[in-house]
Amino acid sequence: MRLGIVRGHVVLNPAVTAFRGKTLVVLEPVTMENLRGGGKSLIAIDALGAARGQIVAFTEGREAANPYWPNAVPVDAYCSLIVDSINIQP
Amino acid sequence: MFLARIEGTVVSSTKHPTLDGCRFLIAQRLEADGTAGLEPIVIIDWLGAGNGSTVLVSTDGDIARARLGNTTPARMVVVGIVDDLQTRKSAMRGNA
Repeated sequence: MRLGIVRGHVVLNPAVTAFRGKTLVVLEPVTMENLRGGGKSLIAIDALGAARGQIVAFTEGREAANPYWPNAVPVDAYCSLIVDSINIQP
Repeated sequence: MFLARIEGTVVSSTKHPTLDGCRFLIAQRLEADGTAGLEPIVIIDWLGAGNGSTVLVSTDGDIARARLGNTTPARMVVVGIVDDLQTRKSAMRGNA
């Protein structure tokens, strides 16, 4: 999983039926420099209710659709957890 | 699979229910020249990797699915802790 800062939300209308009722967030991946943003932004499905400014860890690839198994949902990024704190000891 | 150096831990109280009880580590992917990747990654660890250690990370979610259920979004899992690494000039050594 990579880490990303929630920068906003996306509303789709119309959308494929598999996306109905799902929340989409705009994520800015963080870099190791003070965990600030800077990565290429992407859109992920968020079922946890992350607010703008929070850091989430998101899964990419085939595993991003696992939470909807056995339904087929065209997802390639999924917010798996909202970060409370990161403890880095040098 | 790739090698990564453990930098610390991640605490989360709001997460996908299948991830309850998992230990999350923050790590940096190691490149062939010994430098670390730009973006940190969050990985799941069942082996007890410590800070500063070098681990082998698998990005195949099957091991996580077998353990956490079919609906888990978990993907990156520590599959081994590196004991010794032999490369030319030990270029990929975790403490390089």
